[in-house]
Amino acid sequence: MRFSVENIEVNFPAPAGDLLPALGPISFEVADDQFVCLLGPSGCGKSTLIRVLAGLLPPSAGAAYCDGELIQHPLAGAAIMFQDTNLMPWRTVLDNIALPLEIAGMSRPERYRAVRKLLPQLNLENFELAYPAELSGGMAQRVSLGRVIVQQPRVWLLDEPFAALDALTREALSLELLRLRARSLQTIILVTHDINEAVLLADRVIVMSRRPGRLVADIPIDLPRPRLAEMIYQHEFLQLAKQIRGCIEDQRA
Amino acid sequence: MQTTGKAKEFRAGRKRQLFLRRLSPLLTILLLLLLWQAVADRQIIPRILVPPPADVYAAFTTALADGVLAKHTMTTLGEMMYGLLFGVGVGLVLGYAIAKAPLLEYVLSPIIVAFQSTPIVAYAPLLIIWFGTGPSSKVVTTAVIVFFPALVNAIVGIRSVSPPLRDLMRSLNAGPWRTFRLLELPAALPVILAGLKTSATLAVIGAVVGEFVGSGSGLGVLVIMARSQYNTPLVVVTVLTMTVIALSLYGLVALVEWRLLDWQRRAAS
Amino acid sequence: MLTLRRFATIAALLLTSLVGAQADLTDERILLTFIPNVQFAPFYLGIQHDVFSDAGFDVALQHLQEPEVLDLVAVGQANYGIVSGEQVILARSRGRDVVYVFEWFQQYPVALVHASDLDLSDLAALRGLRIGIPGRFGASYSGLTTLLASAGLNETEIELNEIGFNAPEVFCLGAVDAAMVYSNNEPLQIRNLAAAGECGDLNDVAVLTVASQVDLVSNGLIVNRGQLDEAPAQVARMVGALRDALQIAIDNPAAAYLASLPYVDTLPGADTLVVALTDAAAQQQDFLADDPTRSEVAASRRALAEQLSEQFDGAALAQFHVLLNSIELWDADALGFSDLASWEAMRDTLALMNLLGGELGDLDSAFSNEFLAVSDE
Repeated sequence: MRFSVENIEVNFPAPAGDLLPALGPISFEVADDQFVCLLGPSGCGKSTLIRVLAGLLPPSAGAAYCDGELIQHPLAGAAIMFQDTNLMPWRTVLDNIALPLEIAGMSRPERYRAVRKLLPQLNLENFELAYPAELSGGMAQRVSLGRVIVQQPRVWLLDEPFAALDALTREALSLELLRLRARSLQTIILVTHDINEAVLLADRVIVMSRRPGRLVADIPIDLPRPRLAEMIYQHEFLQLAKQIRGCIEDQRA
Repeated sequence: MQTTGKAKEFRAGRKRQLFLRRLSPLLTILLLLLLWQAVADRQIIPRILVPPPADVYAAFTTALADGVLAKHTMTTLGEMMYGLLFGVGVGLVLGYAIAKAPLLEYVLSPIIVAFQSTPIVAYAPLLIIWFGTGPSSKVVTTAVIVFFPALVNAIVGIRSVSPPLRDLMRSLNAGPWRTFRLLELPAALPVILAGLKTSATLAVIGAVVGEFVGSGSGLGVLVIMARSQYNTPLVVVTVLTMTVIALSLYGLVALVEWRLLDWQRRAAS
Repeated sequence: MLTLRRFATIAALLLTSLVGAQADLTDERILLTFIPNVQFAPFYLGIQHDVFSDAGFDVALQHLQEPEVLDLVAVGQANYGIVSGEQVILARSRGRDVVYVFEWFQQYPVALVHASDLDLSDLAALRGLRIGIPGRFGASYSGLTTLLASAGLNETEIELNEIGFNAPEVFCLGAVDAAMVYSNNEPLQIRNLAAAGECGDLNDVAVLTVASQVDLVSNGLIVNRGQLDEAPAQVARMVGALRDALQIAIDNPAAAYLASLPYVDTLPGADTLVVALTDAAAQQQDFLADDPTRSEVAASRRALAEQLSEQFDGAALAQFHVLLNSIELWDADALGFSDLASWEAMRDTLALMNLLGGELGDLDSAFSNEFLAVSDE
């Protein structure tokens, strides 16, 4: 699925009665099956942008299109991964991952079968009856990822999914994300404030300014795939990272 | 896995501790009974004011044998059950509506707060006149008193549902019914059950207040009748029966909570 | 503005503080039932007209539920209390040793109120009626049981409704055919409601008193056994003081009403009424100086009621009428005496109701008239 963002602006009502500009205006396009990272300082409106693309928040001005159609409602075929794990604490791992299928009206045995098929790839085989509170941060995030994958979405909208994790877990999960994605191609839009993560994962990095977030740079990442953890020490990788950092520092000055 | 001697020792110690903790309420009760017997034996307080345990036990067996206790208990239980059904039912539904439509809160809160802050004992006589002298007026007093905790906890519970989870449900295109069943209800359940515990213990108060004002049967009436006959042991028996009912009902809700909120317990440990 | 009512309160306070300053007075608490009400006028009057202090007592009044009054007197928390006679029997049957030394209400005050077109001249007509009662306890229940027993009926042959203390409202709603009430109070309230057109199509009510069927021992003064044994002279003085106060209230209802004003917050006491009653009380004082007979005094009360009704409306006088009705229940040639037969009748009723515990013992020790004789000297 491809996306087209045209002069989107989002303002929030401020306590005094006037409007607080939170995002934009910003315009860009995302091609079919592209992996795009939205990179920017915290508070720049990247999460807001994801919510607009997901159809959860109508923009104050401008319009977003998916495959040429105006986004007005949550998109069928798009799955969101939220900032923290956003799991239901009263549901087991199995039931949390199965939630989208349950809402879609799938019978219990059917959806459990579908989820159980997925658990080995997520390294969660022995935890299907555990509750979220009993899981480590990384495991909980894998459950959250499982809840996305089980929907077999054509678009993944990922809002800083690994922000709460330690660096090592985070890198491992990022690569796992790529591995899981490799089986079938999807359009992925991932929000992050981590330059290395963006370069390692994306086909393209869109750098955003501080609030209200505008487009600062649109940098293609033509590193070979599959991406590997060692790549971050390679020259090309470092060059790209440096270039992106430069864009961020330019607008900070 | 092998357990070392130390670990075994530690675990045994913990078990012993847990056992003592479970036992301590029973010990408290036993101690109180002994104190009671001692007070009665030494005549520290006149027998007519604090009857000895033996007299109370005798009054209990008499009231049990002639069916008096059962009859009045059943009346009060019936009033409580219907009162809980109506009061909690209306409270939860209204609470849900208010949580979803804040405007409703502005419209209703003056009435609700007025209802709640006025002592029910003061207007119970009016309820008796309006709803008749039979059980219906006691159902009303019970319903009025159990309504508020249900309402408030429903509002707080539904409002405490996390916004990101609401977003998740929306992104999954879940309709209102699925959102309620899969998100709002389970998310609000701990708070609602806490309110239900309060309601359960208040129900006895509601029924007895109604019965005090004017009633043919019920534990509140039995207290008045026993008191007016200077049968203090029977008064004590009746009051203890109310205590047992309140505790049982509380325990019942706690049991439901235990069953439903398994996840909370597992999260805590 | 200093209303007369407030003035009366302040005067009463000054009076009590002055009396309290006298060191030789004995502090006594008299426990009353119900709530402050004009029906307790003899006690208010006894304090305000120095009857108690002249007898050597600084009296404080306190209102409680009847069982609490009895138990507190039984354990000696207070020496004196006012309860109905049946409470004495019930309590004695369960180990409370109190003695009844002065019968205040000569007639049992409980009655059955019903629409006047319902003919109850034959008590058998009670069968099948819906009868309201505060609850299965207390004087109303004993009274009803006695009425039913006189009619040869028992409780299952009527439809008994526990209505709390809401008889006028419930009766006027038509939810019951008749109600057990205090004959000096509720019938009057129902008549007032009917007069205001707020009692359905009811025109007038009739009252069937329990006293018309059986003489039951009624409300009176109880004393703690220890006090009775240790200080019989004091008990005799208290009995004498109560008799004097009661006699003044009977003879001069205007004075009794005025004495109640500081104690009973809701008692109607418009300035004009207070002025009229003050005049009436003074005139009655002169009239009493000529030593009139009991029936002449009764006639003077009726004349006063009539005279006041020309000047004031029913609502203003309602409580004054309650007082007059009460006086009819108090008045007797010799105040304070109760006889064994009325005690036995009450005991029989309670036995019939299956309410007695096992420790009743001899009825003779439940009451005593001897302090009346002593205080006569």
